[in-house]
Amino acid sequence: MKLTKESILGLIALGTFILMSLIAPGFLGSNNLSNFLFQLPEFGLLALGMMVVIITGGIDLSITYVAALSGVGAALMLTNGYSIISAIVVAIIFGVACGAFNGFVVSKIGVPPILVTLGTMVLFEGVILAITKGNSISGFGDTYSLIGNGYYMGVVPLSILIFIFFAILTGVLLNKSSWGRSIYMYGNNEIATLFSGIRNSRVLMKVYLYVGLLAAISAIIMTSRYNSVKVDLGSSYLLQSVAAAVLGGTNIHGGYGKVIGTVYAVIIFQTLSNGLNLLGVHSAIVDVFIGGILILVLTLNFFSDKMKSKKESRVSSVS
Amino acid sequence: MSQYLLQMKDISKTFPGVKALDKVELEVKPGEVHALIGENGAGKSTLIKILAGIHKPDPGAKFYFEGKEAEIQKPIDATMKGISIIYQDLSLFPNLSVAENIYIGQDSNKGSWSKIDWKAIKSKANEALKEMDVDINPNAIVEQLSIAQQQLVEIARALAFDSKLIVMDEPTSSLSSGEVEKLYKVIENLKNRGISIIFISHKLKELFKVADRFTVLRDGKFVGAYDANEVDEPKLIQLMVGRSVTYEKNQSENKAGETIFKVRNLSKKGNFKDISFELKKGEILGITGLVGSGRTELAQAIFGVNNPDEGTIELFDKKLSIKNSEQAVKNGIAYIPEARQIQGLVLEQSVTKNISLPIIKRIRNKFKLINRKKEKELANKYIETLDVRPALPDHPAENFSGGNQQKVVIGKWLSTDPNVIIFDEPTNGIDIGAKTEIHKLMRKLADDGIGVIMISSELPEILAVSDRILVMRKGRISGELDIKDATQEMIMNYSLQGLGNVKTPDISVQSGQVSQEV
Amino acid sequence: MKSLFKQKEFSIIAIIIVLSIILSFVSPVFLTIGNFIDIIEANTVMGILAIGMTLIIITSDIDVSVAAVTTAVAVIIGSLFGYLPDSWLSLVIIFIAAPIIGLVIGSVNGFLVSKINIPAIVVTLGILNIINGLVLYFTNGRYLNSTNFPESFLAFSDFELFGIPILIYILAIVAILTWYILKHTFIGRSVLAIGGNQQSAVRVGIDYKKVKLFVFAYMGFLCGVAAVAQTAYTTAVDPNGLLGLELMVIAAVVLGGTNIHGGRGTVHGTLLGVLLLAIMENGMILARIDTFWQKVVTGAIIVFAVSYDHISYKRKQAKLAKIEVEV
Repeated sequence: MKLTKESILGLIALGTFILMSLIAPGFLGSNNLSNFLFQLPEFGLLALGMMVVIITGGIDLSITYVAALSGVGAALMLTNGYSIISAIVVAIIFGVACGAFNGFVVSKIGVPPILVTLGTMVLFEGVILAITKGNSISGFGDTYSLIGNGYYMGVVPLSILIFIFFAILTGVLLNKSSWGRSIYMYGNNEIATLFSGIRNSRVLMKVYLYVGLLAAISAIIMTSRYNSVKVDLGSSYLLQSVAAAVLGGTNIHGGYGKVIGTVYAVIIFQTLSNGLNLLGVHSAIVDVFIGGILILVLTLNFFSDKMKSKKESRVSSVS
Repeated sequence: MSQYLLQMKDISKTFPGVKALDKVELEVKPGEVHALIGENGAGKSTLIKILAGIHKPDPGAKFYFEGKEAEIQKPIDATMKGISIIYQDLSLFPNLSVAENIYIGQDSNKGSWSKIDWKAIKSKANEALKEMDVDINPNAIVEQLSIAQQQLVEIARALAFDSKLIVMDEPTSSLSSGEVEKLYKVIENLKNRGISIIFISHKLKELFKVADRFTVLRDGKFVGAYDANEVDEPKLIQLMVGRSVTYEKNQSENKAGETIFKVRNLSKKGNFKDISFELKKGEILGITGLVGSGRTELAQAIFGVNNPDEGTIELFDKKLSIKNSEQAVKNGIAYIPEARQIQGLVLEQSVTKNISLPIIKRIRNKFKLINRKKEKELANKYIETLDVRPALPDHPAENFSGGNQQKVVIGKWLSTDPNVIIFDEPTNGIDIGAKTEIHKLMRKLADDGIGVIMISSELPEILAVSDRILVMRKGRISGELDIKDATQEMIMNYSLQGLGNVKTPDISVQSGQVSQEV
Repeated sequence: MKSLFKQKEFSIIAIIIVLSIILSFVSPVFLTIGNFIDIIEANTVMGILAIGMTLIIITSDIDVSVAAVTTAVAVIIGSLFGYLPDSWLSLVIIFIAAPIIGLVIGSVNGFLVSKINIPAIVVTLGILNIINGLVLYFTNGRYLNSTNFPESFLAFSDFELFGIPILIYILAIVAILTWYILKHTFIGRSVLAIGGNQQSAVRVGIDYKKVKLFVFAYMGFLCGVAAVAQTAYTTAVDPNGLLGLELMVIAAVVLGGTNIHGGRGTVHGTLLGVLLLAIMENGMILARIDTFWQKVVTGAIIVFAVSYDHISYKRKQAKLAKIEVEV
């Protein structure tokens, strides 16, 4: 049987996990394991969002600031005495609104996503700073903290369930909905989709709205877990989410990417950073690792593609 | 020393699934204008790309330049040997000046840090342009020039490289008659200086004015090389087509029915103007004209991807408002594009996913999710009825041959249950067997009551398939012909000079014609 | 196009003038030579980086690692200071070492982009992370002050010629050097050529991979120069001091008329873009507008500038008549 890219990655994830349980002291301790599970969802949600954008051949550099802005939205509601539900709703509205803004400039005006999200990254950061004056907002109450810290039935972290729900939702949307199908086709060849009666701009708009939604959910979990929000909420996840999507097999030029691959990559990164942390490695070095893995994977991809194309000796164009 | 400047022998080229060239030869003498002719897909471009170092020929090719065995690995090798290629899409830098465009390649072997000698560049460029007797400001930025001027800049560049052989790929396709005349003068001038020219063109008549010899290709094979005085136009057409019998006449006995589709006064600036026509049930309407006459732009306007400035489109007497391709599909308008691999298919994705793409929203279940079973059935249905080979619905489209890819595209559009299908160069780059199949299929669609429009540059195809023919020229409809009285000659006349039938295109008459038209 | 180009630069100049007039009413300090010299000196680093970024954007690429690379070089020279004697020789060593270190890092970026074909945004984002991690690891985020800087370096940083600080001369040298490369060398013309039409470049024998490698390597080189300038300006090394500067740099370049679709961009346009951002920042400080709003304004400017640029690009493309329609 031939293993798919994703199942190989699954094995690597398993291998990393076993390795860390062997070498990192206390990795399998119940305290650490629950820590592991509580940290994973917020990062996983952002990575899923990034994956969807990358499948379209784009990138969203503003994703963590969208999340931070959503978090600020929720925080403002909570600290002003509104209900948790309304805080969640406001967080989602903030996230989706940011997504709509990105989506509008990308899909209607047609500006390359890198540039748009580079700009909105600064813009959203500025908006957060203007609202918070650079301070953190904290104190959201015990009930709210259950979202990120609570257990379902006393065993499974609630946030993991939320993550699993959105992972499955993303998978279903990508693979079974007409929108998801269009995303892949657009990612491969946007001219062909245009010539097939697909409204490219609408597909793209929905992509950025969806990323906004995932960022908002991630923000709700983060704010609940930290019981506080600041402008840099989740900012370390920007590169990590790109790296996770790419390590997970998503084609950086668009057209391919699977939820399960990204989930495995998220587990690998989470295992690495958690394990290295236990081993006393400086957290900054973990960032170095992640950057290194990202470039290494893409370099390996380049060489394996080269080998493949040599084997097939295909010619690019027939005149 | 051999009497030839360039000798290419036993040139073959195999692409996955297609043998594009099969033991072709090309021999060019010093100082001659050599016309390379053949229909679309005959292999001219592939041959030129091999000469240019873009494609590598299959092993066994023999290649001599100036009597010596030559090897061309990459484009710059050709340039350095004195072979310049002027592509149809030109190789200029729109953001740089004329002078720089002419000289930029010259310094590439001097090293990255070599200083640019602006004075020399400008004076040399001026000289080169003067020598060609053209009036272009060497300081102008290239994107401000007309296409014709840009072409002259490319020729000047070739001269600056001391080219001994200049290849011109369809140089006249987007030039006005006056500009063509100017180009001929330049060519004459080059010839007098001992420079050889390979001239690729579809316009046989004009070739007789400039060419000394002809090399004819057909279906990737070498037909022969002839002196200009050995052959005439009908003879060349016969050599090029070589199969006036192989295209089965495909017209139907059925009478055309009621009008189903109407286009009224459609115009778009820089694309086409005042286009009106009707399409009747059961007929195939052929649209032809030279490359660059606005046919594709018109088709894409109808399909909603190139919105017109004014004019109306009516289907079954109902005015359509089509602003994008989604609305076109909803209204039952299908467009099978010319650039099959770019516009027609998502090559990386499976045949099934390509076929279902335009109707992906129609095959959803009650949860609004794609009904995979239905999708599979649909794909299998078209794979079977269109005989796509191999019948592998899950394989990516890129693994199929040109003809089968085209069938997938057709299947994709049949799945939308269209009222009108526009085929844009449907048999381009497809082998002859598959061509005939596609022609039959088009006829069947027309018989089933679907409105069929076929755009083609290939006149024998137009004559074999259409019931009525529109000829376009410079963005306008220059003639309409019923199949009963259409001949290649008449179509050619309409494509070259519009309404009014003059036997030999003569430049002075032609410009007179233009003014009459206005 | 040239006239349009001029127009674009003209409009930046017009905005700068209008802004200056408004600001001179807001604060009498604004329209003094001293303030202008301060503004330019304070933005030397941004200017140097923006000049390098111009070449990268002309070739349709991007580099988000510039601030990180500059910081890394600054940290290295900062720690080098501890071992250097107090003599002019130290200055020479710094001026040689810093650009070379930058050049090496830039070449890594360039190699990954040109030879390994990884999109520049991913490469430079990855390098950014690696460098920031390493910098944080080695410095622990600690500020390195001037106590162990050689006197000669401090003297250099205070040096003024005709009342103009040395940093402004460095910026001028970088600008003139880059202008010269872009205008008068084959590699510089190749940068514009591959930006204008990559396919044509290949056809006339320009090695575009080499050119891409060059623009990233040169960017690294300028990061090294910028690191010296930054260290001289602050007479300290702050591992977090340049965080996010890359975005301002890109904004300045885009504002200065360089087109992300490639092929267009000038050094003087970029300098005007830097000046505009600098004046705006200065103005907001003088007008006592909360510094937080500066980010909002910068972000809005980037989005607006790239959108405007894209719209005019599309218009121009649409205008390119495919067919000469007979009238």
